[in-house]
Amino acid sequence: MPRLLPLILLLQAFACGVVHAAATHLQLVVTRPYLEMRTGPGRGYPVFYVVARGEKLTVLYSRTDWFKVRAPRGEEGWTYRDELAQTALPSGAPAPIPGYPDFATHRWELGAGYGVYNRQNLVTAYADFGLTKSLDAEVVLQQAFGTLDNRYLATIGLRHTLIPEWRRFSPTLGIGTGYQYTQGKVPPKPLETNNQLAYVSVGARGFITRRFMWRFDWRSYVVFTRQNSNEEPEEWKFDLAVFF
Amino acid sequence: MEIRLGGVLLAAVALSGCAWFHRGDHRPTPLGAGGDAGAATGDQTIIEPQVTRRVVKTPKIKASDFELGAYFGALSIQDFGTNPVYGARLAYHVTEDVFMEGYLARSRAGTTSLQDVFPNITVLSNSGKQFTYYDLDLGYNILPGEVFLGRGRAFNTALYTTVGMGDVKFAGTDRFALNFGVGTRILITDWVAMHMDVRDHVFETDLTGRTKNVHNIEATLGVTVFY
Repeated sequence: MPRLLPLILLLQAFACGVVHAAATHLQLVVTRPYLEMRTGPGRGYPVFYVVARGEKLTVLYSRTDWFKVRAPRGEEGWTYRDELAQTALPSGAPAPIPGYPDFATHRWELGAGYGVYNRQNLVTAYADFGLTKSLDAEVVLQQAFGTLDNRYLATIGLRHTLIPEWRRFSPTLGIGTGYQYTQGKVPPKPLETNNQLAYVSVGARGFITRRFMWRFDWRSYVVFTRQNSNEEPEEWKFDLAVFF
Repeated sequence: MEIRLGGVLLAAVALSGCAWFHRGDHRPTPLGAGGDAGAATGDQTIIEPQVTRRVVKTPKIKASDFELGAYFGALSIQDFGTNPVYGARLAYHVTEDVFMEGYLARSRAGTTSLQDVFPNITVLSNSGKQFTYYDLDLGYNILPGEVFLGRGRAFNTALYTTVGMGDVKFAGTDRFALNFGVGTRILITDWVAMHMDVRDHVFETDLTGRTKNVHNIEATLGVTVFY
């Protein structure tokens, strides 16, 4: 079965591609003197064709900031977002080319990073949904690598951005709960393997460029145990993320 | 009960209030010029135009920024020989230069040189020989370009580097591992790519007696699909 998994995923992706190919496409009219088409989705690829003013082109799909377009005579090539944004719909309305998402009002964040949990190396990945401009709900999956044990943490929480208007650096506060699964590496076995936990966090976030952002977080946990005292580990981490 | 009754009363007052504001609306609607003419002839019929507004739906542009695929190759596990490795990868292309990538792969360790001399020694248990890893990487396309096959065919390519971290499970234990890689992507079509990668997984271990950093270099060939 593990051998089959990559194959199944590949077939699924293939199916997505086939469905994608059958969709209807956006038609745009060139309104500037000409529109350049390149051989690849990058600034260094050569311009091999130009579409003249008044001619119609079909937008097939996009990859990062580049759009694959088809000229009236069938030539296909790549054109840049800013250039395509200056075309128009056949009705004369401006082309509906989406710009970059606004950092202050973005909805989704996906990120990953490195940290230290209880003095152990930590790998972290998260997804974050903006409920309002300053309040986010986040799901975080983490793995901490200790010398004695290995810990998996899954948490959900709320995160408040204090001043969302500050783009480059804005402090945040958070609170949440979750579970920790402990896997012993060396004997004796850990006393408890499944524990609920809660945390408060202080951090910051900031815009880097285009769709990139960074996040820093310091968390203070309380791991609820059946022993005489709860465990109170600390954590810091730094994430790089993409927002949508 | 009291609260519910209070709610009903409040709603009743609010609704009657709304009606109060519209009390002037009962006056007969004055007819336009055509209406006057109609009234003069005694014909009260007003022709309602039966035209429905056409809703123009602009087709959305599909983004194909994700890349999913599988790879196969050889992984040199330090002190434990070179062995086949196979895995899956998922990448998200953020800009034309930068991408984020995740890998999940598996291999199986062979025997150490010591076991070649003394075949009866057991270093790793059967399950301990499993070498599985996951990685979260950040990639950068350093050298994008084209390669040519004969006169009439050109394929887009990119030479990229990746750096990241993740987990290597080997000898029954999970370890924090860093990885560094260089690879080439050749796009056969706009949505199918071939990859050739060389990656080094570095982690700390004391499997052979003393604690040291081990380098586990893999060379792989892969196929991915953009969607």
